[in-house]
Parts: sequence; structure tokens; C-alpha cells
Amino acid sequence: MLKVENIKKSFGDNQVLQGVDIEVNKGDIVVILGPSGSGKTTLLRCLNFLEKADQGTMTFDDINTRLHGASKQVIAKVRKKTAFVFQNYNLFQNKTALQNVMEGLVIARKVPKAEAKERAKKALDKVGLADRYDYYPSQLSGGQQQRVGIARAIAVNPDVLIFDEPTSALDPELIGEVLAVMKKLANEGATMIIVTHEMTFAQEVASKVVFMDGGVIVEQGSAKQIFTAPKEERTAQFLRRVLKDYDYVI
Amino acid sequence: MNLDLQFMAETFIDVLHGIPVTFQIVIVTLLVSAPLGFLMTVTKLGDGRIGRRAAAAYVSFVRGTPVVLQILFLYSLLPTLLNYLIKEVCGLSYNIFTVNPILYAYVVFILNTTAVLSEVFRSALLTVNKGQMEAALSIGMNRFQAYVRIIIPQALTAALPNICNTTVNLLKSTSLAFMMTVKDVTAIAKIDASFGYNYLEAYLVIFFIYILLCSLVQGVFHLTERAAAAYKKPASVRNARRVFS
Repeated sequence: MLKVENIKKSFGDNQVLQGVDIEVNKGDIVVILGPSGSGKTTLLRCLNFLEKADQGTMTFDDINTRLHGASKQVIAKVRKKTAFVFQNYNLFQNKTALQNVMEGLVIARKVPKAEAKERAKKALDKVGLADRYDYYPSQLSGGQQQRVGIARAIAVNPDVLIFDEPTSALDPELIGEVLAVMKKLANEGATMIIVTHEMTFAQEVASKVVFMDGGVIVEQGSAKQIFTAPKEERTAQFLRRVLKDYDYVI
Repeated sequence: MNLDLQFMAETFIDVLHGIPVTFQIVIVTLLVSAPLGFLMTVTKLGDGRIGRRAAAAYVSFVRGTPVVLQILFLYSLLPTLLNYLIKEVCGLSYNIFTVNPILYAYVVFILNTTAVLSEVFRSALLTVNKGQMEAALSIGMNRFQAYVRIIIPQALTAALPNICNTTVNLLKSTSLAFMMTVKDVTAIAKIDASFGYNYLEAYLVIFFIYILLCSLVQGVFHLTERAAAAYKKPASVRNARRVFS
């Protein structure tokens, strides 16, 4: 369904992505792991053209494009097939939860208002916020805000849902509610690309795990293979370190 | 020292007639300066190097010179210049010296306020975090839609206190319009005073008038601010207020 080849991106002298290939099939849950600074977030942002890659090609169903210098129409088409969940939620602060979700439907997709409202309510119900339609982001907890973010993303029926560290900005006790929603979406067959540091979650939901370091993909495979029998020493080292974090007792 | 209360009462009634002129200058200036200032902000934040430099130069020129000087300069220059253009270049016989001097006041205050507002808008736009723009793009909105629906409404809310400041400053500087023979509040007071040399009384009266006008402007802005910032109020604060009242 979505195939991206040879993405390269640098910020000044810093080569963040040095030729990354990634393929996503319908129903895949691709989890991208890696230490910070390994280019995971940049990779996701390039998929949605929030960041312009320096090089690379994308095949997305019937769309064929170079990542560098893609036309406005192509970018708009790709963006309508994907939806992005941000680390910092990035909710529209001047809109209520319901309006946040409706915005993409009414304004970008020209869905009639009444229908958009129904769809937005359904999306909010799905993430467990049926009682928070008319709350502004500033009146919601971090976990609730992120669930609105997820509702905003799923309401537009994207082919691919992209999650950029959706729980990294949350208090530990709020992480669970967001992961539960994501797990539910995964079970319903959504196609997702997820960057996360939640290892247990990754093991449970991932159909494919990609390990990145230093701007390249070091290794990829099934969750079971990566977590129990990583081929590369670098992967094993990373997993030892992050899994050990969970044993911390203070 | 005795204040001529009779004179003060009469002057008070007289200067009330100047209030529409004062407000006219304020409102026309704001209506013209707001879009111009916004255009200048867009130029400043845009990619065009020449535009950015020109806007910066303009702002530092306007802010770096006293308004009084700008008035004196423009009021000496503009009529003569326009007269020359009309008579010599276009060959028309229109007498520019009969034109309502309030037009010159507009020019000076618009030049000033545009520069100030462009800075106000610029800083306000920067207060809205860039993530919301990205979120809007990611759900398929274009930049224009994102600006109109998401960014500008929040920026305007953030800018309100500064716009209030600008308006109050503008209102106060309209008192300089008397130098261009505009019959505003200050001019009327000065004329009244000149007959019997009652300057002190006349100034006291318009002190009071300006305080009243400025308070009125601040009050209006205060209410607008409260209404516009409704989305910023966390639920806990609202509930707390309910508990204590």
C-alpha cells in the first residue's frame, strides 16, 4: 500500500536520514524503535510532507512521487490519505474537542456539517470522550487531549495513521488510557505507523518492528524476532538498556 | 487662585463637540492601519528579503522620530507638494489649501499606527505554536485555511492588550492634531481659553475628558478580551469560581 524508498534528509551538516526504505501493507502495525536522534520522528514527518525530504520516492496506492519537489496537489492527496498524531497533541486551542475533530472533515474534506458532527461524535465516543464534546483543550488532561488528537486523526478515515511518540509528553498514570485506545484501533484493523518508547505495548501490537539508529534502519522483523532474537548487536544493546529501565526501583 | 467655574462648564459643553472629531481620527486610522499593518507583518515574516528590509526600515524610521516632528514636517511638506503636483504636473486648478486638514491628520496617524500594529501583529502571530499549523496541514487543510481558522483567531486574542495600548496611545496623540488646525477636543479648549486667558481651566477640563475617553476605550477592550479568551479558561478555575460565589 505505502512504500517509501531511499529517504535522505539533513539539517545543515547533520544527516538525520541516510537512505531509509519502509514498506507498509494494509492492516500493518509498524512500530519504529530507536534511541533519540536516530531519525524516527523525521522519518514520520517526511511521510506526511511536514518535513521536505532531500531525496527519496513514495508509492502510495496510485500515487507515485518523488519526496523532494512533490507538487502541491500530490502533497494534498497524500495528506488526505494519512493522519498524524503528535507528541504534543497540537490541538487547536481555540476550538472545543468536537470542533477540533470536525475541522478536518468540514474544512479540508467539505463534509456537510451535520454529517461531520455525527462522525466527530462517533470518533470521540470511540476514544472514550463522549462526555467531553464541548471542552476546550485547556480544560482537558494530557491523556484526554491526546485522545482528542487520536479522534481528530481517525475521524477523517485515513488509510494510514501515523503516531509520533503519542505518550512521551504524558504523566505515567495517563499513558495507559492512550495506549488502550491505540490497541483498540489496532484490533479493528487500522493501518498504523508508530514511534514509541513503550516497549511492552510495542511487543503486544506490532506486526512489524523497525529498529533505527544513526539515520539508518539497523534491523527489522516481527516483534517476536526483534525482541527475543535480535540479529544485530546494536539492537540487542538498545533493547537491554530500555527494558532494564523498567526494573528501576527508587 | 480662583478657577472660573462658569467658564469651565461652558468649555466642557464646547469640547464635547470635539469628541466626534477625535473619535473619527481614531477610528479611520485604525480601520486603515489594521489591514496595512497586517500586510506589513506578512511581509516581515515572509521570504522576500527586500520586503523584510523595507518594512524594518519603515518601522524604525517611524518609531525613531517624534510624532510632533512628523506632524510639523508633513504639514509643511504635503500641502505644498500636492499643490505643485496638481497645478504644475496635472495642470488642474483645484485649490489644495482649502482641503479639510483632518486628512493630513489621518496621514500622520495612519503612518504611525501601521508601523506599531505591524509589530503588535508580528509578536502575536509568534505566540501561537507552530504545531497547530502542522496539525491543520496534517488533516488536509491548506495554509490559508489554517491561518484564518486556527492561527489568526488565537493571535488576535493574544494581541488584544497591545491593540488596546495602541488605541489609547493613538487617542492621546490625536490631541496633537490641533497643530494641523483640526478642531478636535484640544483645539476647541485652546480656542476657548485664548479669549480670556483661562488656559488652566480649559486644560483641566480636557484632562478630565481624555481620562474619560481612554477609560471608555480600555473598558471596551477589557470586555472584548474576556469574551475572546473564553477558551483559555481551565475548567478548574470556572468551577472554583462557582464554588466561591
